[in-house]
Amino acid sequence: MLRIALKGILGRKARLVLTSLAVILGTSFLSGTAVFSATLNRTFDNLFSDVFRNVDSYVRSTQVIEADFGAEERQRIPAELIATIEAVPGVADVQGDIQAFARIIGKDGKPLGSEGAGPPTFGGVGQEFKGALWTISEGRFAAGPTEVALDEASAKAGKYNIGDTVKVVAQAGSRDFTLVGIASYGDVRSPGGATFALFDLATAQEFLAKPGFVDAILISGDGSVSDEELAQVISSAIPGSYKTETLTGAQITKETQDQIGTALSFFSILLSTFSYIALGVGSFVIYNVFSISAAQRQRENALLRAIGASKKQVTRALMIESVVVGLFGSTIGLFAGIGLSKGLSALLKAASIDLPSGDLVVPSSAIVNTIVVGLIVTVASAWLPARRAGRVPPLAAMRETAIEVVALGRRRTLFGLFLIALGAAAIIAVTSGASNKWLGLGILFVFSGTITLGPVIARPVALILGKPAQSLRGVTGTMARQNSARNPKRTSRTASPVLIGVALVTAVAALAASISSQIDGVFTKQFKGDFAISTNARGFGGLSPSLADDINTLPEVERATGIGLLTVKIDGKGQYLTTINPATVEGVYDIGLISGSYSDLTPETIFVSQKYAENNDAKLGDTIAVTLADAQVKTLSIAGIYEFDDIAGKYTVSRDLTKDTTVITFDLGIYIKIKSGVSETAARTALQVAVDKYGQGTLLSKREYIDSQSGQINQLLGLIYGLLFLSVIIAVVGIIITLLLSVFERQREIGLLRAVGMTKSQVRTTVRWESVITSLLGAVVGIVLGVGLGWVIVYALRDQGLSSFSAPVGTTVSILIMAFIIGVLAAVYPAWRATRVNLLSAITTA
Amino acid sequence: MTNPSAATATNVSKIYGHGDSEVRALDNVSVQFETGKFTAIMGPSGSGKSTLMHCMAGLDEMTEGSVTIAEIDIASLKDKELTKLRRDKIGFVFQSFNLVPTLTADENIRLPLLLGNNKGNEEWIQKVINTVHLQDRLTHRPSELSGGQQQRVAVARALASEPAIIFADEPTGNLDSTTGNEILSFMRKAVDELGQTIVMVTHDPVSASYADRIVFLKDGKIAGELLQPTPELVLDYMKKLGH
Repeated sequence: MLRIALKGILGRKARLVLTSLAVILGTSFLSGTAVFSATLNRTFDNLFSDVFRNVDSYVRSTQVIEADFGAEERQRIPAELIATIEAVPGVADVQGDIQAFARIIGKDGKPLGSEGAGPPTFGGVGQEFKGALWTISEGRFAAGPTEVALDEASAKAGKYNIGDTVKVVAQAGSRDFTLVGIASYGDVRSPGGATFALFDLATAQEFLAKPGFVDAILISGDGSVSDEELAQVISSAIPGSYKTETLTGAQITKETQDQIGTALSFFSILLSTFSYIALGVGSFVIYNVFSISAAQRQRENALLRAIGASKKQVTRALMIESVVVGLFGSTIGLFAGIGLSKGLSALLKAASIDLPSGDLVVPSSAIVNTIVVGLIVTVASAWLPARRAGRVPPLAAMRETAIEVVALGRRRTLFGLFLIALGAAAIIAVTSGASNKWLGLGILFVFSGTITLGPVIARPVALILGKPAQSLRGVTGTMARQNSARNPKRTSRTASPVLIGVALVTAVAALAASISSQIDGVFTKQFKGDFAISTNARGFGGLSPSLADDINTLPEVERATGIGLLTVKIDGKGQYLTTINPATVEGVYDIGLISGSYSDLTPETIFVSQKYAENNDAKLGDTIAVTLADAQVKTLSIAGIYEFDDIAGKYTVSRDLTKDTTVITFDLGIYIKIKSGVSETAARTALQVAVDKYGQGTLLSKREYIDSQSGQINQLLGLIYGLLFLSVIIAVVGIIITLLLSVFERQREIGLLRAVGMTKSQVRTTVRWESVITSLLGAVVGIVLGVGLGWVIVYALRDQGLSSFSAPVGTTVSILIMAFIIGVLAAVYPAWRATRVNLLSAITTA
Repeated sequence: MTNPSAATATNVSKIYGHGDSEVRALDNVSVQFETGKFTAIMGPSGSGKSTLMHCMAGLDEMTEGSVTIAEIDIASLKDKELTKLRRDKIGFVFQSFNLVPTLTADENIRLPLLLGNNKGNEEWIQKVINTVHLQDRLTHRPSELSGGQQQRVAVARALASEPAIIFADEPTGNLDSTTGNEILSFMRKAVDELGQTIVMVTHDPVSASYADRIVFLKDGKIAGELLQPTPELVLDYMKKLGH
């Protein structure tokens, strides 16, 4: 039987290729994402093992605030410790380190590096140091308050040469420096696409951070003791009151790598989620292909049964075929995936997530995982069709044509409805108070139920969708419509991958539309000005607070106010505070103050949201202890309660809160109201001049600003659509394969039609419309499911501040148009094959 | 008086293969089929009778010679024109798998007209439907019709577009003799009452006896002719030809 199975496979190479295609596509994403993640991890690992290559000890503060999204803010340490450490025996060289935000402005006035989620833009210390990573490739290190050195890549991107004047924007504002040196970072021109402006220590402290403080101290030993011993000696030399810790070079390297690993795991999880979705979609195609090819071989199998093969043997022959296809497909998928991982980099780049590129890493786990998972999915998908093939009666060998049995049991309908009811019950339970956990289960049940019901609804829906084809195309349309409905099981299996893809896209689009309209509403409500300056550098850097002050001095401006974020610790937990300027905020940016007034907001007071006050039973005069990043504890009394917490969150403080601390604050947005009587053009011109002076931030009108804020979600949306694209490709390939097999199966019918006068173009029309109807079937049911799914997710997120559901009308229309186009494109090859059907062999009796 | 010719084959040859393995399925065949007559083509298996029909109906390409249908030389036609010729000027009845399973009997009957976006002559179509007694079966699909009914639909389809000629390839080959005779009577009626031209390939002497004229083929050549045949005459003639 093994020989028969293998001969069967080799005898029909076309079938092998078609079946394998689905496996290849499904597994390629699996291996592609694994290779991509591994490559990314390795690239960053290498990068950070380089950073501290010659650093033997690392001293830093123990005071740290951990906030959401894994961000952390560590306190600075006094620079006087440098002298203390220099005196420790075994220490050869010491350097105070500062790593802070600094943006280099190119010669054309445009800031280097992307303002979005690209690599960070750093300012730091570059000086002669034994453990230094930076080596001067041209000129020398900066010395004194007017000099700067740049990393090679930035110097090139900014078109700067030694001696040029370079504008740099940092905490202390924007300033011009003379370029005295170009440095390279280990072996590379620039680490991972980040930009670096390097100063001497004093300038870095003053311009980037705080005089008298450093972020960390790097130590290079003289080699007389081991790194561990050195760290110990240094640690005991520093008085405990400084609250510092001393790490070895290996420890800090490992810690940095782990942090990056955690950040990257978000990508890995996202990617692998979508790769499994693609594989799931692919398994439908694999199942469909095996079903059809088993049905088409009914006579062959019946003949085998008639001449004495047992049921088991027939089944086994098909299972062997599935093993071969699984191995063959997964292996090719593995290699295709390696190529795909390069495409993923391009995709992320398109979503403005620029990642450093490194040599491809193909982990053995990816190889094993791809082959094993691919094999299991293929064999599992082939199991039912193989069993069905074994049950074929020997008598079927004598029958004229072999058509797939199309029995739609009542059991299927009942089971499908039962699943949907279960899912609906779980969802209803969530809406009436049960945990959101049930939601996932509910959604899964509704999906499974719909797919189970697929064959039942395929026929009526296909007939309805085919109506226009019939009136448009006459008898060819009629045949297309009937063809798409003649085997509802096949049609629904073909449409299911489209359904899944479309449902996910629609749900994501619905979520995004809801978030967008929410953001739009919030800003429309709160932003009372005419212009805004925005920056996308969330979390790291932002607009210098002096920009808002400058703008306030403009004669065209009535009032400008900056809004920022501050990371602190409250009750031992990291929290974000919104910082405002109480002197200018009123009338420009409304936080919906219910009690208290803006003048009450001083460095000793805090405003809280109404929700916070209600939940915590807080009233005016109560105090909240806030630990700043430099470990200072401020006890603030509640001086006001506000209503609009969508942006501000629970706490709002004055930007002066950090005035006497080492903590740096930035504005994330500046909101501007112009004087009445000043034209918009005049105001814009004046404002642009102020913005250009800082070389940072984007000036936008109120409408532009609100659109850009509510449009930020689209960037993520683009990424998700990109990732779902592979599922769409698999769905298209599924349609192509099914159509090809159907065309093959209907050879005689096509031959007859050609004989009695159907032209080739009419043959193509018939196949094309069948394809369009199938594709639309998946799209329509998918949209219904997706909108429902989106609504449920939005509902589940109501606690996160998402209050209303917006239907993604535009996306829905685009999906329908896309589905139509996909149907047309998928039919191109099968339709051409259909016109190649040999007329004579089709009509002469076999 | 001789009727004008509905279809003419002149020196038609059909050769498969090359050199030593060359097979002449048709060897320099010339034959005419008169308008308004029912002609049968007979011959043993492999005599080339089906090949002749396929070549004359534009279903297969001939190697040499020429064929005219309704005074059109089909050798010069491109695929599209040939398809249109089959649709508008030729009717077909095959042995089996005659009908499109997804279409109703009525749609199957009108199929060539529908494909040509042609309304056709409704009076004529009704007459055809009545002739083959299908009035109450029109909304049924092929799977809901008996073998005989399916062949009647096929005959009606062949007639529906008032073609210049109808080619029938063993139209009763899959039917029992009673049902087969019924189909042959309809074809006879179509010639006598509706003035149609039919060419039928068969190996059955009884079927052939419904025709006005029988053309015998052997080894790819015309072996003889018989006018006004009866089953007995046909059998005698076949014996004389040596099969």
